[in-house]
Amino acid sequence: MSSALPLSDDDLNAYADNQLSPERARAVAAILDQEPALAARVGEIRRTNALLRDAFDPWLGEALPRRLIVAAEAPRDGRRRGVTRMWPALAVAATLFIGVATGWLLRGEMLQFEGTPITFPRQAALTHALYATDPNRPVEIWANEEDRLVRWLSKRLSFPLRAPNLNGVGYALVGGRLVAGNEKPGALFMYENADKQRISLLVRKDAENSRETAFRYAQEDGVGVFYWIDESCGYALSGNIDKQQLLSIARVVYGQLAASTPPATQR
Amino acid sequence: MPDTLPDPDLIAALPRLRRYARVLTGDVNRADDLVQDTLARAWEKRRLWQAGSDLRAWLFTIMHNVHVNQYAVRRRELAETSIDADDGVAHGWDLPVRATQSDRVELIEVLAHISKLPTDQREVLVLAAIEELRYEDIARVQGVPIGTVMSRLNRAREKLRRMTSDLPSTLRIIK
Repeated sequence: MSSALPLSDDDLNAYADNQLSPERARAVAAILDQEPALAARVGEIRRTNALLRDAFDPWLGEALPRRLIVAAEAPRDGRRRGVTRMWPALAVAATLFIGVATGWLLRGEMLQFEGTPITFPRQAALTHALYATDPNRPVEIWANEEDRLVRWLSKRLSFPLRAPNLNGVGYALVGGRLVAGNEKPGALFMYENADKQRISLLVRKDAENSRETAFRYAQEDGVGVFYWIDESCGYALSGNIDKQQLLSIARVVYGQLAASTPPATQR
Repeated sequence: MPDTLPDPDLIAALPRLRRYARVLTGDVNRADDLVQDTLARAWEKRRLWQAGSDLRAWLFTIMHNVHVNQYAVRRRELAETSIDADDGVAHGWDLPVRATQSDRVELIEVLAHISKLPTDQREVLVLAAIEELRYEDIARVQGVPIGTVMSRLNRAREKLRRMTSDLPSTLRIIK
């Protein structure tokens, strides 16, 4: 091997694992064009990665032992961690999630089973994909009637709603609409930036009285979704934008909506 | 601040936790015990999880630590009963390869190869290649600087490369 290689082992590994920034990746790719020996090593790393995934991915499709599902469940009411009435729902959820994990295309399947709950982030992504691309009628009530919009949605969802103000991060309210949910309707607020890029916030009254407050990210059909569940309702911010950007906007939304609860300080 | 974890996400993470536990322990049954211990620990430590951060990486971190602690105990036990105390290479690596895969010699080979890697290197390789974790998250899982992760990854890949090229050429299947 030559001692004056233009790329280090770390560069090659990071490039093969898609861990370089776009600029650095472009620079490395340009060098690889000139260095067939190094390009071959990248190819070999990627082939081995694919082989490892082929070897290990089938494990993801195995049925989960019940004791692990129970252990994953929140230790509610004291020490009791046996079978609860949540069990059937969890089993369904587990089945769905295994499907997602193994990369099955679940959508068609799920729709065949009447009453199977669709996950919240998936609902948000589908709703976003449906309405954000609609040039004429993305919303039912436009932002120029914001007060009426918020009053109407609050009435339909039976709790006081607020449309977060995202002007500070470059997104103006387009308007909103009522959308169908698993059990109850949800409210969708649509926002748009100067480049006509749209993001949407789906709000629903949470049916399961969940205590979750954590931020979580999901990607569904190419739409990024940050979702979290506050004491009484679920929120999902969806958009086809960069994850970090979406996260920073989600933090603004969260901050405005949860202004009454103590701010996050933990590190 | 969250005083709870999103349990649908925990359940969603289960298949990957089990898989990683198998890689760590090399044993299907011990792997599930490790997953269960990890989940119990995660619920105990739930206040330490930062909302918005990668839950999977956090769970892998807990699993790594639980495994390291249990492994230390096991190792002491082994040292008391046997003279061939440990060399950092997985012992009792006994993972099934599914029948449907058995036509692919390379899959069996690759399992055999990575079972021979030192645990730290195998861990990094699996997290980077299969779980596609960011290198900085892998550093957090192992509690080491990112440079250590990079060199472990590089050494793991070099060893795999050498093991593969040591094979008689008739065993190498190119598709």
